[in-house]
Amino acid sequence: MLHLVGLGLADETDITVRGLEIVKRAERVYLEAYTSILLVDKEKLEAFYGRPVIEADRELVETGSDDILADGDKVDIVFLVVGDPFGATTHTDLVLRARELGIETKVVPNASIMSGIGCTGLQLYNFGQTVSMVFFTETWKPSSYYDRVRENVQTGLHTLVLLDIKVKEQSLENMARGRRIFEPPRYMTVAQCAAQMLETEEERQEGVYGPDSLAVGAARVGAANQQLVSGTLKELSTVEMGAPLHSLVLLGRRTHDLERDYIREYAVNKETFDASYAKGYGASL
Amino acid sequence: MDSDTNRDQIRSLMDRRANIRNMSVIAHVDHGKSTLSDSLVQRAGIISAAKAGEARFMDTRPDEQDRCITIKSTAISLYAKFPDPEDLKEIPQTVDGDEFLINLIDSPGHVDFSSEVTAALRVTDGALVVVDCVSGVCVQTETVLRQALTERIKPVLCINKVDRALLELQVSKEDLYQSFSRTIESVNVIISTYFDKALGDVQVYPDRGTIAFGSGLHGWCFTVRQFAVKYAKKFGVDRKKMLERLWGDNYFNPKTKKWTNKGEHEGKPLERAFNQFILDPIFKIFAAVNHNKRDEIFTLLDKLEVSLTNDEKDLEGKALLKLIMRKFLPAADALLEMICIHLPSPVTAQKYRAETLYEGPTDDKACIGIRDCDPSAPLMLYVSKMVPTSDKGRFYAFGRVYAGTVKSGIKVRIQGPNYIPGRKEDLFIKAIQRTILMMGRFVEPIEDVPAGNIVGLVGVDQFLLKSGTLTTDETAHNMKVMKFSVSPVVQRSVEVKNAQDLPKLVEGLKRLSKSDPCVLTMINESGQHIVAGAGELHLEICLKDLEEDHAGVPLRISDPVVAYRETVAGESSMTALSKSPNKHNRLYMTAQPIEEEVSLAIESGKISPRDDFKARARVLADEYGWDVTDARKIWCFGPDTTGANLLIDQTKAVQYLNEIKDSVVSGFQWATREGPVAEEPMRSVRFNILDVTLHADAIHRGGGQIIPTARRALYAAAMLADPALLEPIFNVEIQVPEQAMGGIYGVLTRRRGHVYTEEQRPGTPLFNVKAYLPVNESFGFPADLRSATGGQAFPQSVFDHWSILPGGSPLDPTTKPGQVVQEMRKRKGIKEVVPGYENYYDKL
Repeated sequence: MLHLVGLGLADETDITVRGLEIVKRAERVYLEAYTSILLVDKEKLEAFYGRPVIEADRELVETGSDDILADGDKVDIVFLVVGDPFGATTHTDLVLRARELGIETKVVPNASIMSGIGCTGLQLYNFGQTVSMVFFTETWKPSSYYDRVRENVQTGLHTLVLLDIKVKEQSLENMARGRRIFEPPRYMTVAQCAAQMLETEEERQEGVYGPDSLAVGAARVGAANQQLVSGTLKELSTVEMGAPLHSLVLLGRRTHDLERDYIREYAVNKETFDASYAKGYGASL
Repeated sequence: MDSDTNRDQIRSLMDRRANIRNMSVIAHVDHGKSTLSDSLVQRAGIISAAKAGEARFMDTRPDEQDRCITIKSTAISLYAKFPDPEDLKEIPQTVDGDEFLINLIDSPGHVDFSSEVTAALRVTDGALVVVDCVSGVCVQTETVLRQALTERIKPVLCINKVDRALLELQVSKEDLYQSFSRTIESVNVIISTYFDKALGDVQVYPDRGTIAFGSGLHGWCFTVRQFAVKYAKKFGVDRKKMLERLWGDNYFNPKTKKWTNKGEHEGKPLERAFNQFILDPIFKIFAAVNHNKRDEIFTLLDKLEVSLTNDEKDLEGKALLKLIMRKFLPAADALLEMICIHLPSPVTAQKYRAETLYEGPTDDKACIGIRDCDPSAPLMLYVSKMVPTSDKGRFYAFGRVYAGTVKSGIKVRIQGPNYIPGRKEDLFIKAIQRTILMMGRFVEPIEDVPAGNIVGLVGVDQFLLKSGTLTTDETAHNMKVMKFSVSPVVQRSVEVKNAQDLPKLVEGLKRLSKSDPCVLTMINESGQHIVAGAGELHLEICLKDLEEDHAGVPLRISDPVVAYRETVAGESSMTALSKSPNKHNRLYMTAQPIEEEVSLAIESGKISPRDDFKARARVLADEYGWDVTDARKIWCFGPDTTGANLLIDQTKAVQYLNEIKDSVVSGFQWATREGPVAEEPMRSVRFNILDVTLHADAIHRGGGQIIPTARRALYAAAMLADPALLEPIFNVEIQVPEQAMGGIYGVLTRRRGHVYTEEQRPGTPLFNVKAYLPVNESFGFPADLRSATGGQAFPQSVFDHWSILPGGSPLDPTTKPGQVVQEMRKRKGIKEVVPGYENYYDKL
């Protein structure tokens, strides 16, 4: 049987009791380590579970799924996913393939950034579509997220922006040569995200948001050293929030007073925050 | 003349742009370019008159001197003066005084080195085309002439080796005249084939003074115009009228003392004016000297106003003949006169060349500067090649200033061939360390060089691979990249004999690649270093340079192998589908062949990725029958963004498509560079993207997901479209005497070659045989041919076209193409069996 077990957001102890029990008795345990990362490393997990864990990079999951699913009809296999197993859609494919092989699948849910972001004090009910932000390159600056943000903005909803991480990415040349040489891991910061959002706005000029739009940056959600910062996009584009992982929420205009009071505490600069807020936000709008 | 005054004189002439002539000497191999150039160099006082014709001053390398062929093109600046103001009046463009500066580039004639010719032509405005009067117009004459005309270079002609016709073949005057006019005719046929409106009619005519006749070896040469001037004075008639009468069907009737255009008078044949007035004195001299009739010789000399010193009078035979002829008709006089009168100055030439030289808009600062040849405009300089210095591993950048003035120490933008305005790739901003003057085998430092001149630069070589644009204008586009008529179709792999020499080899390969415009160096999958060149000889010279000079370490060199291309012979039998690793993205593609004419147009630069897409679509639709919608949706060319494979977007209303374009293009470049059959580059394949399914979020369709998927889809599409191999075919021209013809046919048949024309050179026992020969079968061909014809046949091979390797599918290892593929795969160290399309195809 294939078990998809959520690991939660921060460290090894976030696993649920049910999840831990399954991990302890399973034949093989894989740790998916490329769509998100845990804030602690694999060794810590192994020490906590008291058993070995196999790291599964993108290649193994996407092209070597047969190895993962081998003997799945006879023994228990665990696939550990940071956050919630179905937080992102990429793992549906694994389940589909298990189904084809007649392997039963069970899921152990856990906290995801989708729910964890509630720590900002913004009500989950008021969120629109989630978008992700990739690292822009000289020639590749995809801006389709901008249209999704617009839809959210039009209905006054908040937008959760998930930030790109690059673990075990190959450079183009290495990929073409088939060399297994990987670039050092990169994690997008709140500041980079805010800057790229402004870059898209400048290019598209459609006024979906601007340098004065309010947003909340969140770092290491769910961990002991979790950090929140609120301010205008311009302010956030220079903010320093430390170690990964980061996320950003673009504030929707239909903000409840309670939400405002909560995030105002984290403002980079309370005056600019108030000024911006007064201009375009509030439940009455 | 000592070097300082020489240099100062040349420098002061550089400012008189109307009196500069940048010219190259081009011809078929062994038609006597270098020898003829010697005559000019000798006039400028650099080598002694006695040695002219033997010194080969322009051949700077020891192997050039040994083999008596030119391998690298060499430049030299010469000084010329017009003593007669009457002559100046005949120059059909503005003139600035009676002194001229001629920048002459001698270039190789052997086809394997014609990339050198391309580089030479780029920096010149005029060309002296040399044709051997016995062998006539040959394959390389045509190739270089065509190159010259497409670069908008104005030609003048020199019919060389007339001494051979006189001494060896003993032809009559009329026969010689007929032979001249046939040669001229065939040159003019080529010129009119490549007629270009901007350049106007540039056909050559003796009676307009654009043709010279002579012998480079003996150092004499004349134009009809020179004789016209002489006789005009003698008879007191107009020069122009005289000129017209001295060529063609014009006769002087001694009875009536009148000119006529009928070759008969009262039943008796008249002698053609050209024969009577020009050839006659020459024939007389030859006859007198050959039969050693001393008295006759000296009366003749008196008549011709040629005086000899007493020592000289003691000479005999060839030496005497050479001396007399050189005094009577000095080659330099005739050639310099022809060059200065008929070839354009940079001011004249850049007016019509600007638009073909520059990639940017015709109305920007840079282009206007080029058009006006303006020394005060922003600098526009094109580096056409790199010349090795005595300092190992360093190169002079050789090029021409088209606008502005280049000085030692100024900061310039060095723009490589891949530079795109506004971007930072392939761009360096550096100071020029020194500017120099190139003088054959010497260089001279010079302060600055204004527009219209040829120059050498120090300190640029590290930033340019082979060629590029130097400018001081931030908005300037590139000067157009040169297109070479030859391609590197023969390759050999090299490895070091001692493992510790490897770094030297790597460095040596870099230097080799820099020093030759056409050589390619690369590393293949299995880590072998490959050097590719235009032909066996070219490669041999390159590798010799590599071993002895650039790397300086002993090398092991493999047998030559041919570079193939992969293509498709049909359309994909079904749509190829590939899914991205995360399965959220799907690409649907098909492949089909591109029409040969379109591929050729792409390779010749007529259709290029840099064209405006609408204009390009128009050309494709009007001239090649393409669907306009398809033609407008060309995503890219490949490999290397310029090759003759196309990627067409045929999707309808797909969201986010433009966000994956970059990744698909990268996959396409990758796939076309290394095809699915044998990892050889693809050619002439058109890929259509029919449909695309994409994940809504950009994070799940980044390069890591799309690039390999695009490549797989392209491979599958190609494998489903009847893949085939293209092999390069040489056009071989063989000159051979009639009795040795039989041997040629035998050798050609054994080597899968076939003869397509065969004609006799009128007036000679020589035959010109032209044949197509697969490059693969050409190794050792010259030696084989020599032994089959008793050493009487001389082949010249030049790459002509690609042709499908016959014999079946390359996927079937029992066929000939299959074996070729298997061998290639083995050599490259990849699995010997070609993976089927299933490896790249995903089921729905």
